[in-house]
Amino acid sequence: MITNASLQAIEGQPGSFVARVHQEPRYIDEDKCTACGTCTMYCPRPVADFYNERLDVTRAPHIDYAQAIPASYYIDAKACLRVNYETCNLCAQTCTAQAIDFSQKPRDLELEVGAVVLAPGFGRVDNEVLARFGYGRYPDVVTSLEFERLTCASGPTEGHILRPSDQTRPRRIAFLQCVGSRDETCGNGFCSSVCCMYAVKEASVAKEHEPDLDISLFFMDVRTQGKGFDAARKRAQEKYGLRIIRARVPNVDQVDGRLLLTWVTDDGKSHTELFDMVVLSVGLSAPEDARAIAEASGIELNHYNFCKTTHDAPLATTRDGIYVAGAFQGPKDIPESVTQASGVAALASELLAETRGTRSVTVTYPEEDTSLLEEEPRVGVFVCHCGVNIAGVVDVKAVRDYAGTLPGVVLYEDTLYSCSQDALKSIAEKIKENRLNRVVIAACSPRTHEPLFQETLRSIGVNPALFEMANIRDQCAWVHSQEPEAATEKAKDLVRMAVAKARLLEPLAQPTVDVIPKAIVLGGGASGMTAALSIADQGYQTVLVERSDRLGGNLRDLKWTLDGRDAGKILKDLTDRVNSHTGVEVLLGTEFKGMSGYVGNFTSSLEKGGQTELVNHGVLVVATGGRPYLPKSYGYGKSKRVITQLELESRLSKGKNPLRNVRSIVMIQCVGSRGDDMSYCSRLCCSQAVKNALKIKEFKPDVRVYILYRDMRTYGFSEDLYREARKKGVIFLRYTPDRKPEVIRQTRGIKVRVYDRLIGDEIEVPASWVVLSVGIAPAENEETARLIKAPLTQDGFFLEAHAKLRPVEVAVDGVYLCGLAHGPKSLEESISQAKAAAAKATIPLAKGKVAVAPIVSRVDKSLCIGCGICENLCPFNAIRLVKEGKRRKAETITASCKGCGICASHCPALAISMGGFTDSEIMAQIHAFSQRECEERRES
Amino acid sequence: MKGDIVGFCCNYTANVPAEVLKEAGLVPETLRIRRLPCTGKLEVAAIMDALADGAEGVFVAGCRVDECHNLTGSQRASKRVAYAKEMLKELDLDPGRVEMIFVPRGEAGPIIQAAREMKTRIAGMDDAMTRALESEGAEQSK
Repeated sequence: MITNASLQAIEGQPGSFVARVHQEPRYIDEDKCTACGTCTMYCPRPVADFYNERLDVTRAPHIDYAQAIPASYYIDAKACLRVNYETCNLCAQTCTAQAIDFSQKPRDLELEVGAVVLAPGFGRVDNEVLARFGYGRYPDVVTSLEFERLTCASGPTEGHILRPSDQTRPRRIAFLQCVGSRDETCGNGFCSSVCCMYAVKEASVAKEHEPDLDISLFFMDVRTQGKGFDAARKRAQEKYGLRIIRARVPNVDQVDGRLLLTWVTDDGKSHTELFDMVVLSVGLSAPEDARAIAEASGIELNHYNFCKTTHDAPLATTRDGIYVAGAFQGPKDIPESVTQASGVAALASELLAETRGTRSVTVTYPEEDTSLLEEEPRVGVFVCHCGVNIAGVVDVKAVRDYAGTLPGVVLYEDTLYSCSQDALKSIAEKIKENRLNRVVIAACSPRTHEPLFQETLRSIGVNPALFEMANIRDQCAWVHSQEPEAATEKAKDLVRMAVAKARLLEPLAQPTVDVIPKAIVLGGGASGMTAALSIADQGYQTVLVERSDRLGGNLRDLKWTLDGRDAGKILKDLTDRVNSHTGVEVLLGTEFKGMSGYVGNFTSSLEKGGQTELVNHGVLVVATGGRPYLPKSYGYGKSKRVITQLELESRLSKGKNPLRNVRSIVMIQCVGSRGDDMSYCSRLCCSQAVKNALKIKEFKPDVRVYILYRDMRTYGFSEDLYREARKKGVIFLRYTPDRKPEVIRQTRGIKVRVYDRLIGDEIEVPASWVVLSVGIAPAENEETARLIKAPLTQDGFFLEAHAKLRPVEVAVDGVYLCGLAHGPKSLEESISQAKAAAAKATIPLAKGKVAVAPIVSRVDKSLCIGCGICENLCPFNAIRLVKEGKRRKAETITASCKGCGICASHCPALAISMGGFTDSEIMAQIHAFSQRECEERRES
Repeated sequence: MKGDIVGFCCNYTANVPAEVLKEAGLVPETLRIRRLPCTGKLEVAAIMDALADGAEGVFVAGCRVDECHNLTGSQRASKRVAYAKEMLKELDLDPGRVEMIFVPRGEAGPIIQAAREMKTRIAGMDDAMTRALESEGAEQSK
């Protein structure tokens, strides 16, 4: 990881680039720094804390936030006295790890790389734009980023919401949306896509903290189009009583120390109210250095200075071999950014498939010394100071000496920083010298440091399972920082418990399972084909299974993409490539009938024309798609004049002829979506309607086009289309679900009755055609979900393993997800996601082996009564019943087991135990915990 | 109505209707805002007429001098307010009954402040108008 660096230039060709990078020094050695914070404490130079949005101060040496990676401090060179004036040097003197190094110089690096990924994120909205809303003039006007810090427990106010002007609690807060978005006057004509939802989130968090708060949110349109977002927004509105006002507030005034907002609602009424605090929901601008990045990397930008991409290749820049992910490609939220991040990995991997593994280094470990275990437990305890992090509160030496009194302990020492390279070396030597066969380290969290210490054990031939950690930093020094004596006693308790458990630890095997280097992709639509091609391009055999007799899926019905590309050509390119690729086997007219096995070793049955074929494969990608909702309302199916958007597209694809006798077209949004049959937002219908409206205006400008909508959700750059449509005279009328438009069939023609909010009365619009923007319904996902044992959402789409962190994986290992099967999305988003699923699916294929975590459940078959409770409860499908003779016995599929312990805790015969957490080990820990109390009682 | 105040605002200084401000309880009930295309249009006679029609205080809210939409409109208005003050003195009226204020564009805060200040100002006045109103009030109560 090269931090503090900027890209200077990229030279060469795809596959053999040279990236020139300039790196400024951190002045703190990342390898030596233990993130203890002493330097920050001693530094005399205060600087604004940028992580906390300058609401707080920190010192020249600091870390932005506790979880920052690398977990190392750095020195703000602009503020540091030593760097600028050669004075001070206090931090270097106080750093016990000797990590501070002022001899560091700026470096220019030349990196040989095959592919480049640009992910610089987004930039800020200009302060000048914020100043229009009183920001900078009135202290109680804050940005949403500042408010986020104010509501954060680790923020400057420890999570208490206080007005910056007088540090009092606000009673009324207003959120103003679209600040720096959907605003041509500031250059950001696009929609930032994420602000509506994050404002609802921030308002909810604030209400959780201060239930008496009165919160109003000012929207133009409520754009919560993400998966599950509409439901979450509705819940928040009901649970927290958020007041939603549809108006754009032009400016902010201050009266009597409070903030005065004036707005006009769409019924033409003017309103004025006072608030205590105003939060500006700032949008996502292009990165400030976008131009510099573009020049250095030789790519093109779009008219908003974001990276230029196309809808059929959303992750590719205009230069081959350079890819883009995240908000630099266009404003987007976390799940989409993470998805794109995986997607670009696939692109890079496709490009560099030939060279895979040529520069990787394989770590080898010495044979395990099994003779160690023949001896009695010989426990070594190392108590860590962590600089002052632990030793500042806990009496480390006392804990160390106490450890020496515990049974089985042959070595007890204290170390300054156990995790430093020197310390690890010395620990390894001491383990060898003393023939330790159990190691206890009393330090920080096993979550972060256990793998490091286990690695040390492995490197000297000790099984890593013979290791136990006591977390005396978090659980003693941190939480009891005001009570050093009690903290020390608690540290002793934890060490005693750890030692008691350690004495019973048994070595665990580190099994690996071979992976069948083949993937199955279910579904031959745009997503499925993209995923299959990507996996094949990365060098692995792929079977593309399509139920119907043609490839293409919903893409077949699409005529144009949102950026005006010919969808037919995209479809043809995809199908041609799929059909001609030697790595892709296409099975048309084939049904997926079932799957058994586990990651790396699946067997699926595929049925074609009554014949069932079994295919062994390592991974599965689900791209089974969705289908357009078939409306029952608005007279659909009863008149040729009432059609869907896709049917309109098909008519328009024949040119302007079909519009010959058409004088007026009415489009109705949210047919099926957001309430009727499907509770969710179908995400793309708004952009699709605007796209088609523009096509109509292009062919025949005098056709009157009306779009009846609830919220225009033309997020991202589609906002341009929305604006263009308004300029071209498309009429947008908002309706509410309690006053839906009515389609009235007359003897001649058809008309639509709708309530016009501005006039305050119903109007009737004659319509040559009525176009229904029908939503996207899930396909037959229930059946597929049952076969692969994957969960679905309430709406009937596949549920990802984690909405933000694992957006294309399913809870079942080795199964991945993309396209409409995951939820409604545009072609552009489907392609990004298909690439992401392909990248994830290739990981086990490329590794060739699946490492099985040693902490898995084990069944003692002599105790198992075959009741099957464990099989039913296992959320990962990782335990099954097998016949042994006449009896059924449970068996763990170790490759799938996550070590959650549900089976072990429910087994009525106590036949299941967890590696590293056996009943006897846990009982020993509990007994050790109560031991001291028992002794005390006995004495008294 | 007793305590009537008239505010002459231009298109750029009056972005909030007086009714809305009154509903929100931010300004005295007795405020009436008269909107002009530009305060430069305002004649001295109009100010005097407002007083003759029963207003006890008048303020004129023009653009800030450096950002007047019509360049010199608010400066003209300010001169006329000065004339009006002279005339009030001659009539044995408190010149404080007329005031010029300059308001940054689109801000309602200064208008609210001006209306409130005018209210307290006229309440503390002792001139021909207060006396006349008192005797009128006394007659009515008889």
